[in-house]
Amino acid sequence: MENVIELNKVTKAFEGFKLENLSMTVKKGFITGFIGGNGAGKSTTIKLIMNLLQPDRGDISLFGLDYKNHEKEIKQRIGFVFDNNIFYENSTLLEMKNMIKRAYVNWDDKVFNQYIEKFALPLKKKIKTFSKGMMMKASLAIALSHHAELIIMDEPTSGLDPTFRRELLDILHDLIQDGERTIFFSTHITTDLDRIADYITFIHQGQHIFSKEYYKIEEEYAIVKGELELLDRDTEREFIGIRKSDYGFEALTANKEHTAELFGDTAILEKPTLEDIMLYTKKEREAYVESYS
Amino acid sequence: MWNLILKDIRLQKNALFTLLPALFIYLFSGLSVTWVGIVFCIVIIMDVFSKDEKSSSNILWNALPYTRKEIVSSKYIGALIFTTLILLTILAGNWIIHQEFIQWEQIILVTSVVIFFTSFAFPFAYVFKIQYIVNASLVLLVLYLFTVSTFIPDLNDRIRGFVQTIIGLDDIFLQLIVILSAAVLYFLSWLLSIWLYNRKVF
Repeated sequence: MENVIELNKVTKAFEGFKLENLSMTVKKGFITGFIGGNGAGKSTTIKLIMNLLQPDRGDISLFGLDYKNHEKEIKQRIGFVFDNNIFYENSTLLEMKNMIKRAYVNWDDKVFNQYIEKFALPLKKKIKTFSKGMMMKASLAIALSHHAELIIMDEPTSGLDPTFRRELLDILHDLIQDGERTIFFSTHITTDLDRIADYITFIHQGQHIFSKEYYKIEEEYAIVKGELELLDRDTEREFIGIRKSDYGFEALTANKEHTAELFGDTAILEKPTLEDIMLYTKKEREAYVESYS
Repeated sequence: MWNLILKDIRLQKNALFTLLPALFIYLFSGLSVTWVGIVFCIVIIMDVFSKDEKSSSNILWNALPYTRKEIVSSKYIGALIFTTLILLTILAGNWIIHQEFIQWEQIILVTSVVIFFTSFAFPFAYVFKIQYIVNASLVLLVLYLFTVSTFIPDLNDRIRGFVQTIIGLDDIFLQLIVILSAAVLYFLSWLLSIWLYNRKVF
């Protein structure tokens, strides 16, 4: 399967934060959800992918091309949406469109006007009067009007009302139906991904935890619930993280089959949410850091 | 890259419409053409620059299919275009109001001063915010006034004399030196700004 984005051992350090040896790929024709807590490095990774930041070490390629030799060619094929407003506040959407369209060889006014109509956006009102939802719709209309092959979005659903969030997810779903487009978007609202993501990439504190097909996560991971007596040094090793209470324990396993064999009927196995996985991974990493510090 | 310059002209459209008529008023009032030209050029060039100063604008233009080199170069070429626009307006205004052409030497002086200023201001503005330049200018102004009042009371006259000497230079060789040094400085500043902007984090 073709990779649209490839990061190979990418390192980028800032004061107080480091993205370390990050290697990941994004497959062509699918929606990949990019998850991680606040400060995990999602926005930094997206900026690296967009060449807004350059890595200290490692290689980044898009469509099999590198930015050093093919910067404009790569950017022609990307549509982007950021979580904050990047347009001039005192300009209208029409003025913004006229400034941006000249940058793209494949700009299509017809497609743009369709989205403007669909989203009921005012063309002649200043951007500063737009609500968060309108701003997102405007960014999206611009991102989708030059037949981009890759749509990169940084937290597109944050701050949106549930109705439009649902609408946005439906649009994204429709976009990839021809198999030619790829969508990569970061979010911390993990329930958005239940609906549409084919792949999930998870990073934590600047480190890549996993990239998996969504259905495989359900196959491999499970929340295990049982009584405290089931736990000992050996069984605890089975889990990524454990929460204990007076009534029993709840834990996350990444080896559902083996855990099911080990505990048999004595424990209950449930389907985990992405939030569960994020939470337990965070706990595991913190415990690891504590035990080695 | 021409699209980026065109974008700056579009963004500056309203300011140009208000500033250019103001230019006429200044010319009408009989203020020094050189002085008015320099001030208007610098104000417009720095205003264009400040519109893209926000990190959100930098993200937008860098995410679009432009290179950082093009983004910086558009500002340098744009500055020359805006200077030409203003000089042309002054030329036309002066002819309409006073029925006289401005001196060739005045044009050289305005252009050289604007180029010298921009050559220092742009790299500085890529590192710091324009607000710092404004602050620095204010400090310089205070220092200047302090110098005038305390040490060199006739500094204004001396500068006026110096400017007159430059304008009065018949020596084509000296004029050429001024133009060439301004051009070299501008080119070096351009390269420095590209280098600085390549390292900028938004």
